[in-house]
Amino acid sequence: MKTAFNRLLRVVITLLSHYRRHPLQTAFLLTGLVTGVALWSAVQVINAHARASYAEADQVLGAQASHWVRSRSGEGVSVDDYVQLRRLGWRSVYPILEQRLTTIDQGVVNLIATDLIVLPAGEASNSTGLPEGGWMRLVTPPFEAWFPNSLAQQFGLEEGDRLTLNSGRQLPPARIFSREQQGLRVFMDIGAALTVLDQSRLSYLVVSDLSGNAVADLRADLSLLNPQLTLVANQQRLDLTELTQSLHTQLAAMSLLSFAVGLFIVFNAVRFSLASRRHTLTTLRELGVSHRLLLAAIALETLVMSLVGTAGGLGLGYLLSQLLLPSVAATLQNLYGAVLDYNLLLQPVTLVQAWLLTSAGLILALAWPLWRQARQSIQAQRDEPAQWQQDAKARTRMLWGSLLLALLAFGLYFQLNSIAMGFVVLALILFAGAGLLPWTVALVLRAIQRVLPASAWRLNWACGDGLAQLGTLRTALMALLLALTANFGVDSLVDSFRTSLSDWLQQRLAADLFVQSDTLDIDALLAEPGDWLIESHRRNGLTVRWQNRPTQIRGLNTETSDTLALPLAAATDRVSDWFSGNPDVIFANEQVRYLAGIELGDTVQLPVQGQSVAFKIVGFYHDYGNPTYQFYLPYERVANLWPQAGEQGLGLWLSDDGDALARAETALVGAGARPGDWTRREDILAISLRVFDRTFALTAAINALTFTVAGIALLASLLAIHQQRLPSYAHWRSLGVSGREWLLIVGLPLGIGLLVTWLLSIPLGTLLAGLLIYDLNVLSFGWTMPLIWRFEPALTLFWLTLGVAGFTFTVSAIQVRLRLPQALKHLGEDTA
Amino acid sequence: MRYQALITAVLAMLSLAGLTQAENDNTDSGNALDVMRASGEGYRTAQPGQPIRFPQDHLAHPDYRIEWWYLTANLTDAEGQSYGVHWTLFRTALRPGADPEGWTSNQMWMAHSAIHTSTGHHYEERFARGGIGQAGVGLTDAGQFDAWLDDWQLLGTADAPVPGRLVTTVGDITIQLDWQADLPWVLHGDNGFSQKSGQGQGSYYYSQPRLQITGEVVIDGTPVAVSGDGWLDREWSSQPLAADQQGWDWFSLQFNDGTSLMAFHLRQDNAAPYVRGTWIDARGQARALDEGDLVIEPVEWGDVDVGADDGSRKSLPLQWSIELPGQNARWSIRAQTADSWLATLVPYWEGPVTAEGHSTGVGYLEMTGY
Repeated sequence: MKTAFNRLLRVVITLLSHYRRHPLQTAFLLTGLVTGVALWSAVQVINAHARASYAEADQVLGAQASHWVRSRSGEGVSVDDYVQLRRLGWRSVYPILEQRLTTIDQGVVNLIATDLIVLPAGEASNSTGLPEGGWMRLVTPPFEAWFPNSLAQQFGLEEGDRLTLNSGRQLPPARIFSREQQGLRVFMDIGAALTVLDQSRLSYLVVSDLSGNAVADLRADLSLLNPQLTLVANQQRLDLTELTQSLHTQLAAMSLLSFAVGLFIVFNAVRFSLASRRHTLTTLRELGVSHRLLLAAIALETLVMSLVGTAGGLGLGYLLSQLLLPSVAATLQNLYGAVLDYNLLLQPVTLVQAWLLTSAGLILALAWPLWRQARQSIQAQRDEPAQWQQDAKARTRMLWGSLLLALLAFGLYFQLNSIAMGFVVLALILFAGAGLLPWTVALVLRAIQRVLPASAWRLNWACGDGLAQLGTLRTALMALLLALTANFGVDSLVDSFRTSLSDWLQQRLAADLFVQSDTLDIDALLAEPGDWLIESHRRNGLTVRWQNRPTQIRGLNTETSDTLALPLAAATDRVSDWFSGNPDVIFANEQVRYLAGIELGDTVQLPVQGQSVAFKIVGFYHDYGNPTYQFYLPYERVANLWPQAGEQGLGLWLSDDGDALARAETALVGAGARPGDWTRREDILAISLRVFDRTFALTAAINALTFTVAGIALLASLLAIHQQRLPSYAHWRSLGVSGREWLLIVGLPLGIGLLVTWLLSIPLGTLLAGLLIYDLNVLSFGWTMPLIWRFEPALTLFWLTLGVAGFTFTVSAIQVRLRLPQALKHLGEDTA
Repeated sequence: MRYQALITAVLAMLSLAGLTQAENDNTDSGNALDVMRASGEGYRTAQPGQPIRFPQDHLAHPDYRIEWWYLTANLTDAEGQSYGVHWTLFRTALRPGADPEGWTSNQMWMAHSAIHTSTGHHYEERFARGGIGQAGVGLTDAGQFDAWLDDWQLLGTADAPVPGRLVTTVGDITIQLDWQADLPWVLHGDNGFSQKSGQGQGSYYYSQPRLQITGEVVIDGTPVAVSGDGWLDREWSSQPLAADQQGWDWFSLQFNDGTSLMAFHLRQDNAAPYVRGTWIDARGQARALDEGDLVIEPVEWGDVDVGADDGSRKSLPLQWSIELPGQNARWSIRAQTADSWLATLVPYWEGPVTAEGHSTGVGYLEMTGY
């Protein structure tokens, strides 16, 4: 037993000595392992963190939140009502002010404020949740605004700086600090915030703990105190989990893609390390090391490598997750209003999961080369040309495999009904494409050979050599293809989305000024507006629960120009009934169609005063960026059915007079609005697109990282190829092949391979974008849009690929140049 | 004199506030008492010679830094079971200057509500900011004295807190007490200026030492009628502490012969305790007790459960000796239960005591700084 172990150990040490002698190869193997694992585990950590944050959605700023007290009209809760509730003994009620503020540079910042000393027990007295000087500075003029670090960076704020709002007001001096569940928001004392923003009403009250009879008791007290106040159970936890599910599936899928790219590297690296040790392995076999022992030794080596790689990958993944978190947090906050904590906790479960999956993936990547190695006889291992034939066979096998995958993808596509299935189809297409690549490259090389005249022997040689290299290079090319395809596909998706969103916003935001104010007397403003005003559109609305989800109902003026021009994604011939005020027809956003499965002409039942009222859907409108269901009815209809519906903003069209804006602003202030209550159309457009860009910054980041991983794969491959072929190069040199000729022979086929890879990535990427836009996006978010195909992203990727390839080729060429004298020396010795 | 209250209030503010002084004083930035010892600049200071005026002085004095309304009561039910009730409302000004009212008010409120029952000691602590009506002291529309924080309320029948009523809760226990008094308000020290150290620091301080209380305590939904004696304190100041004072022991005692005693024992660094008090006869006539008139000494120490996570206990003097040599009177004061610790933001011991010796009686003892 002991002897067997000693022998195993000796064999392992012999095998591992290879890595000591080739540190660069070792570095690349590990880099491949680590980067592959890193991105996957980073997203894993973020997803787990986000889910944990949703579980905390029954808390606000670290305090329990079982219910909300809100005003039915949406105008907020008065301080008097809040104090009365406290004086009635409702101690678990605490006030919140939430505001979306626009900075003078048209940036958007969310603010949350509360009264820390009334947060339920355990929180208020917890002085550890405060920075130095804490509460006192928060409540004492000039007050403080606490910015989480990333938010401060976003606005370029240092401690003590003041953020200027578009109303001209300044937030208090910044303090770089973040409370529990503050998320990407500015935190202020509620008194300070109301004072600084010159507001009088609270956004809502949170009820920390309410159970049993207390719910009915509080409802009774609320109806006596102010019938406008309503008690709403906090279902955010469930809502968020449900709403964000598709986003997390998408993130997971993207990270799995990069994990797959990582696996390609591992697969490649293992093959290289086995190939460059072919002689060592053969010698060991010849020395009598049994086949089984050799396999065991390789398995042991693999385990060591996987442990090192996984540990490094997880470490890097954790760091990466911290870099990516602000972007994910921004997405979640922008889209769903979900608040993510900034203190990433690496949960042990996540670690174990990541390690298990990583190890499983690594073993998978190892199985094939090991199996091949094991099947080869000693003689076959000595017989190099056989490798060529095997490569050709493998290419054909891959071709058939990829055709099979494509067929499977095609079959599955017509049964597509879930996001997960969508990603399966997507993966099948990607791998089918990847499998097709070596065969295509070989096809192209052979075709070139065929058309070349016999005199172009160098080019012929280059193509022939390319075919020989292909077996080694193909994995890296396949990884690159995946990265290029994903990049092009996702770029096209984001591009299409941005264009659609921008067009849609242009149409939807038709008015010149948008006013949202809880102090404005709209009737007074519109009574005698003066000639600065051409048209106005007043909306009302409320949020109800429908299909067990928060659902918005909005009342529109059916005669204003923006409503008349409302772009409908689908409509029946009864559309005109909606505009003429027919009470039983309704418009719904596309989310209702695709997420709730309601079709045109279907009847929906909406909750009205404890009952339900039926409406027939006569049109669907685009509603990008909205995760919730929404319905449009005429303004009066909403007002009649839901008396509690509140004002949802006012759109104003101004005359062409040069001073129309100034006069409008004067009139607004005269009617009770405060500076900052209105926003100009172009500002809203800019803000919306900025929010969009920030939301999709994450995809760009993941894309860039995937591309980096592919670049590393390519570099590793080239270095390994040259390492392996150094003796051949020495032969060539001794035969009189010049450096320039070498560049042509080695570089040209690589260039052709890369070109074919890039070309193939364009149709594949388009297919990917189509699948994402027409299927996955609809399944995930319920938004439809046309695919807008542009060549520019592909061109950018071409230059990028050229850059990466140029760089990696240069690095590997320099390596060859440095090592060639040594190889020549070996050659001389061998010959001698 | 409720120095405990004062330090609790200020420390409470400070714990929330962090240490505003910290940046200026690196050598002792962790010592919250520095604020207590600060000069009180910008605030009005308590000085002798200023007459106490009723009923105005029952209300808040926002231009002084610290103030409190403090009720203790020794009660019994029909079966002879004793109850101790203690309710306090503290006001602190966060910064000097006129109160801007509203959300930017510079006033801050804190309240403690505690009860000793057969099941033990129960207490609760609350905070509120001034200016928005969540807490305060004032007159109702009907002209009644009103001191409140959330739904805890001390409401006078007229413009003074006596006669009056307290409605408060401690967790699920609700307490309602009504009182009246036959004796006049007692002004401590020099006509209401109560000196607290040899360096002149002091406060305005007066009490109603003989509240006749009836009321009801509802425990687990069962109402219990209670009655007994109570003591109401009023005190306000801006700079009450000397630099070398670290702890207080305060007594309010009501003897069965109708006499009463207020006495305090300030523990000082490197000096004998600063001891003062007021003797109140059965007709309510008060006599200030100066140095030499009063001897207060701890007699027996006992372990007190302070709710520490590690289960550690503190040793506190649970039995005391108080002597008035001039009256040839001596009492042994014993805590009714060691379980009187309030693990509040700033923890302290406050509980009912029994007096034996020259005469018998009951009262309250408060110990801080241990």
